[in-house]
Amino acid sequence: MIEVKHVTMTYGKKQNAFKALDDVSFVIPDGASVAIVGKSGGGKSTLMHSVSGLDRPQQGKVIIDGVDILSLKSKAVDKFRSEKIGFIFQSFFIQANETCFENVALPLEIADIAPSVRKKRVEEALISVELGDKIKQKAGNLSGGQKQRLAIARAIVNRPRIIFADEPTGNLDSTTGEAIENLLFGLNKETGSTLVIVTHDEDLAAKCNIQIYIKDGKIDHIDGEKK
Amino acid sequence: MRTTDIIRRAGRSLKNAKARTVLTSLAIAVGAFTLTLALAAGAGARSYTHTLLTSNIDPQILAIGANSNVFKAGQTGPQEYSATSSLGTRANGITIKLLSQADINKIAARSDIASVTPTYTIDAQYVTQGGDQKKYTADVTTYDPFVTQTVAAGTLPALRSSIADNQIALPEVYVSLLGFTSDQDAVGKTVTIHLARTPTITQTQIEQALASGGAAAVETLSAPSTMDATYTIAAVIGKSATALTSNSDLEVSNASAKALSDFSTLGTSNYQEYDLATASVKEGINPETVKNALIKQGYGVETAQDLQSLLFTIVDTLQGVVIGFGLLAIVTSVFGIINTQYISVLERTREIGLMKALGMRGRHVSRLFQFEAAWIGFLGGVIGSIIAVLLGFLLNPAITKALGLGKGTNLLIFQPVPIVLLIIVLMLVAMLAGYFPARKASKLDPIEALRTE
Repeated sequence: MIEVKHVTMTYGKKQNAFKALDDVSFVIPDGASVAIVGKSGGGKSTLMHSVSGLDRPQQGKVIIDGVDILSLKSKAVDKFRSEKIGFIFQSFFIQANETCFENVALPLEIADIAPSVRKKRVEEALISVELGDKIKQKAGNLSGGQKQRLAIARAIVNRPRIIFADEPTGNLDSTTGEAIENLLFGLNKETGSTLVIVTHDEDLAAKCNIQIYIKDGKIDHIDGEKK
Repeated sequence: MRTTDIIRRAGRSLKNAKARTVLTSLAIAVGAFTLTLALAAGAGARSYTHTLLTSNIDPQILAIGANSNVFKAGQTGPQEYSATSSLGTRANGITIKLLSQADINKIAARSDIASVTPTYTIDAQYVTQGGDQKKYTADVTTYDPFVTQTVAAGTLPALRSSIADNQIALPEVYVSLLGFTSDQDAVGKTVTIHLARTPTITQTQIEQALASGGAAAVETLSAPSTMDATYTIAAVIGKSATALTSNSDLEVSNASAKALSDFSTLGTSNYQEYDLATASVKEGINPETVKNALIKQGYGVETAQDLQSLLFTIVDTLQGVVIGFGLLAIVTSVFGIINTQYISVLERTREIGLMKALGMRGRHVSRLFQFEAAWIGFLGGVIGSIIAVLLGFLLNPAITKALGLGKGTNLLIFQPVPIVLLIIVLMLVAMLAGYFPARKASKLDPIEALRTE
């Protein structure tokens, strides 16, 4: 369960101070699929960064599995991210000159998983995104859709509890995008991990259980939240 | 994250930027090349010097002076005056205390000394075969029974025994000059050494001579007295590959040399006073202990070992100069590494951002870049030393030939341990150079780094 309590994030100081997040609170139950929707510059990326432990809001609490990650030291936050969080980005961020295997193995290396275990995990992850036959290929030779599938394999390989996807279909055509969406929701149901999608695409947001609408750093409204 | 994984990733990153990696490491390679050659030349020179000394000089030999100033280079300052000992001025202008005949006798009387030979001052005017043959200037020294010499013709006695008092060892250069047809022809023939001495005359003597015989008597009185010593040529000495100096001195026995010296110096302050003496320590006795005992008595003493370390100091100094140039190249390459790694960090901002977002510690990111730098250092070290070793193997025969060293003597000796140490040191230097770029990488904010443009 993710509990966000009164999170306020301010950039700059004094007169130049700008509240990117202003007293944001919500709860995401385990295994849910959540869309954080809003215009660009509205604070949705900042919210994702705050919840995933990449950024540190000055006020509030982000409680994940009972631990307030904002109170942790940076070493513990790094460990938290490597063990519990998977990231998918709009522009993939895969290493074009490395093989698919090397790309997917990175989170396992960072999380200090034994090399003997790694190979099996990477193979499983690649098979689940239908890239099992590309394991030794250079990532740069893949098509756009395949690159994002590779990024998904990298996000799920260490079996994270939460996957953050930042505009996962933003750089893809609609057909490929739909295939990626189906893959993400399929994995969300299959593995029971929580899926948090940051998007401005209403159609994609509508496919999630919960939609959190962000406007000017504040929660505008939340749809589909179970009472 | 495991160190092995970081090292592997670092290697992979370098492989993806081959040209840049190789070019950067070439800068280090230049330094590694110079240092490897310097080390090899130093090792070779030391080994050659050692061979030279052990094949030329008896390890039981001591060089003895009246005090330690004899072995000092440069100015020695004022010497304490003593009525019983005399001072001499050496060619380089240094005033030294001289050894007296009493000193020589005292040292010779020691139970641990086999023999003592002072360095005699012999002012020979010329050497000739006699008759109407030409006369040539000559330096006459004592035959050294502790040095092996190359015999071109004739025979020399075994090591540690001297030639007979009526014999002489003749350098090859004199053979044709003195009118012999060949080296073999010279052996058994005789040569004459001519010495002259200006007499020391007192005023009274001049007055007496003037009174008794007039100007003619004074002339007779002041005429130089001469001495002609004739010796049989025992052997003709050729040039040796491992000879310490190109010796062109005529060598006579100890007793002959003393006779010649006494004649040369009679009436001067140098009469039976010597710069140096060579003593042979008896077999089985450590020359070092005898040296210390003699030093306690106030003498200046050096062993063959000391001579070796003196020569080693010269080798070390020359080697130091070359190493200095190598280090300069390394320092230059350090800036190359820093520059390359900074560019690498800038190029891979997003990769670094991703790794940090995935939970990689800043420390590990920093290490990744430092290991990359270490790889560059390793590559440079290996390239440089391999080229140096190959070049050494190609050049060694040519150097040996050019310097006229004996066959089988290599002036460049490559030892694996210093080369391996050199490569390790270069890796550490490269890692240090990579520190600043690595720190920059580790401090990158993942959010900033991942902001897509």
